[in-house]
Amino acid sequence: MTSNIMQISNLTHRYGRGAPVLQGLNLSASPGEIIGLIGLSGAGKSTLLRCINGLVTPTGGTVEVFGQNVPKLRESQRRRVRRRIGMIFQEFNLVDRLSVIKNVLVGRLGYANTLTSCLHLFSKLDMDLARSCISQVGLDGYEDVIVRNLSGGQKQRVAIARTMAQGAEIILGDEATANLDVRTTDSIMELLQDLSRKNNTLLLLSMHNLDVARRYCPRIIGLKHGVLTFDASAQSLDDSAVKEILVT
Amino acid sequence: MKPGKAIATLGGAAVIVLTCALICWSFYGVDFQLQGLSVGIPKAGAYVAQMFPRSRADFLWIKQFCFGGGGGDASTGITQPLLETIQMAVVGTVLGAIPAFPLSFIAARTNSFFRPLSVLFKTLLNIGRAIPILVYAMIIITGLGLGKQTGAVAIGIGSFVMLCKLYAEALESVSPGPVEAVKAAGGNGLQVFVFAMLPQVFPGYLSSTLYSLELNLQASFILGLVGAGGIGFELQDALRIYNMLEVGVLVLVLIILVNLVDYFSYRVRVIFS
Repeated sequence: MTSNIMQISNLTHRYGRGAPVLQGLNLSASPGEIIGLIGLSGAGKSTLLRCINGLVTPTGGTVEVFGQNVPKLRESQRRRVRRRIGMIFQEFNLVDRLSVIKNVLVGRLGYANTLTSCLHLFSKLDMDLARSCISQVGLDGYEDVIVRNLSGGQKQRVAIARTMAQGAEIILGDEATANLDVRTTDSIMELLQDLSRKNNTLLLLSMHNLDVARRYCPRIIGLKHGVLTFDASAQSLDDSAVKEILVT
Repeated sequence: MKPGKAIATLGGAAVIVLTCALICWSFYGVDFQLQGLSVGIPKAGAYVAQMFPRSRADFLWIKQFCFGGGGGDASTGITQPLLETIQMAVVGTVLGAIPAFPLSFIAARTNSFFRPLSVLFKTLLNIGRAIPILVYAMIIITGLGLGKQTGAVAIGIGSFVMLCKLYAEALESVSPGPVEAVKAAGGNGLQVFVFAMLPQVFPGYLSSTLYSLELNLQASFILGLVGAGGIGFELQDALRIYNMLEVGVLVLVLIILVNLVDYFSYRVRVIFS
């Protein structure tokens, strides 16, 4: 059996004095898995993803990633963990005024020298890697195009190339296909599927589209009011299970 | 009508009445009379008319004044005072922009600094903005004496308080998405600034700085009137000896200068936006 790359135990979180967003969540995942994370808006999906890469420090529990408990790490140590975790977002979160290649090179920042990278100077190795990632997501020839001139699907491809440049072993998707049309959603999901297959990357993708989740994610987990209410194969996600997760 | 709606309507009516009262009171306070204007405007027109050349000799004088050569009262020329005005404005803008850049981070509402420090700094900036540059110049004169350096430093302080606010506003408008993405990729604080924030705020910073340069040209002109040098100083001299032709040329030069900077700023903004 493959060892767990991620082990979450009794994870709880609340923002300030508000109601708990995550309540005693337990979850483990292995390399190469593709997990669909479903739940209503406000169920805690985004918070869970941000607890995994340390952008949010949970109020309780442990989040072990690559054998390290992320909430207990210092910021510099968290950055070292983060560079091995890619993240793609619904709004793509690219820097619109920068070129495609510069956005992909953002994925190398965790490895690059601060001073030279801030001068936008990257090694030939990094440049070659960025070009190769751009080529792999099907954007050959777009290296110097300013990102704001791209379509939504192309932008998400750039975001995926950025995670590839990171050499990410885990990719977290925060409703990454929510803003895309049906065909583009399929092509992005196929791209992610290929990536996971080739590099044994763990994908944890939050989404609202149950059809997409069933088709591309062999394992589905459901969150309701911060509690994990479903964790099984996509085939087990029948109507009653969906009702249980999605009805308030 | 619901009580809430009635209160809102009454409140709106009260604002309109108060605004009208303020306008009437202000007109009354300044002794505004249309009759006075009908007499005053033609007088002012005649005064302005003296700034325009009327004879060949006037044109020759302007040529000599603008491009040098010859002798007489026009031989001192406009080039040197013009350059001084530009230099004061440029030095003032640089003196203001350099400290405003890092300190605007404290002023920005979205900063992660100690909150009371940010509030205190913003309050100081608001106080600083309420003080006219002329007052700064009067204070600095006591230390540096009369001259161009005093003008440049006074302009610098004025620029600093203005640019701090404008830079901070640019920082507050940064979209958090790219910031989160660079952090998520393992970027440190400096990398987050350079890759996620700077590309977003740079056009705003540039635009504010160029706008400040435009205002500083006018400020350096006004400071010249109180002895800081430049074409303002020449203007004061011309007004003293009632050389209206020279006044006209100096005002025209300032208009051309400000419009040139405005055009240049526009071109630069287009390139970077």
